[in-house]
Amino acid sequence: MKFKDYYETLAIERGASAEEIKKAYRRLARQCHPDISKEEGAEERFKEISEAYQTLSDPEKRQAYDDLGRHNPGEDFRPPPDWETRFSTGPSQQEVDLSELFEQMGFRSSQRRRQAAGVDFPIRGQDVEAVARLSLDEVSSGTQVTLERPGGNVRIRVPVGVTDGERLRIPARGGPGSGGGPAGDVYLHIQLQPHPLFRPVGHDLYLELPLTPSEAALGAQIELPSLDGRVRVTVKPGAQAGQKLRLAGKGLRQRGEGAGDLYAVLRIVMPTPISEREQELYRELAEASSFQPRPHFAGGSSDG
Amino acid sequence: MDDDRLIPEDLLIPADGDMPVESAELLAASGLAYEELVELVEFGVLQISEGSTGWIFQARAVHQARRVVKLRDSFGLNPPGMALALTYLEKIEALEQRLRELECLLPR
Repeated sequence: MKFKDYYETLAIERGASAEEIKKAYRRLARQCHPDISKEEGAEERFKEISEAYQTLSDPEKRQAYDDLGRHNPGEDFRPPPDWETRFSTGPSQQEVDLSELFEQMGFRSSQRRRQAAGVDFPIRGQDVEAVARLSLDEVSSGTQVTLERPGGNVRIRVPVGVTDGERLRIPARGGPGSGGGPAGDVYLHIQLQPHPLFRPVGHDLYLELPLTPSEAALGAQIELPSLDGRVRVTVKPGAQAGQKLRLAGKGLRQRGEGAGDLYAVLRIVMPTPISEREQELYRELAEASSFQPRPHFAGGSSDG
Repeated sequence: MDDDRLIPEDLLIPADGDMPVESAELLAASGLAYEELVELVEFGVLQISEGSTGWIFQARAVHQARRVVKLRDSFGLNPPGMALALTYLEKIEALEQRLRELECLLPR
């Protein structure tokens, strides 16, 4: 079994009081709670902190943990022999995680208490929560993910039409219940992987469309990439930067019928460097053109 | 893997779907106490429609309730604190969504 130093995780002394443990946990939870911190690894860190707190905040579990003695984190160690009989259920060659052991411990003692009261309490199975990081192609064609759960893996079909940040619930497909209790649920949080070209907003996709100044001035026929192949669009003469061209139905597919739209956002880009010949032509254009882009500045600064 | 069980698509319940959830299921799935649920409904954080046998919630209420239970357990919140935290989080997320939309209009 791999040792984990729960005191180190919470950054406290081994002799810390219950109050100090609670304070340390709350301070760290505020930093790493997945609802508060969007930083990379925050969720993982929060799980470690919660695991440490769950064991150290329960006097019975803390005592059992302290009885293990001190080891280096990650060090392989053998729990005292009586642990086998106290907690072990599965085959001994199986790699057991320390957290599972302590989870079982609380579970069993609460079960014992309930049985002592003469009631066989139904206990709901464990919920399974997972994040599915999917590509745009996967969400637009539908895909499958496999989740680990107590009592065997479960394969889940992700339907067409899910979007970034969406949460799916699959009732009664989590861990099995006991004492006649129902199975837990599966919760799947969808996250879209960034795409080099398309930015999703709901079911719509945004694509930046760079144009040369002459394309913007004279109009152009341009081929764009889309999720289902290339499409031709017409840029009208006199196009402005920031304008959106809407390609209906070329976004992400929605549940049921239809799909979002693809928006090409126009951007006018200058070549760097601008060649001699180009500069010459721009000078000529500047002389020939009476275009005034700032008529609203004409009143002067005193008008406010 | 052989022991995988394929789940039919119709069992997936999206948060914005119109699959209604009753109070008992919401409480069992979230770990929320009944008194807390009543307060969160009174605050207007969880929306209800009145069914023939009691309150009916939208599917997204399960996700809201689970989230608020995690915040309760991490920070020792009471129902008014839970209501406030959830309101702010949802407001922040709506703003983040709007920000993402606007960012799409800017050059990268």
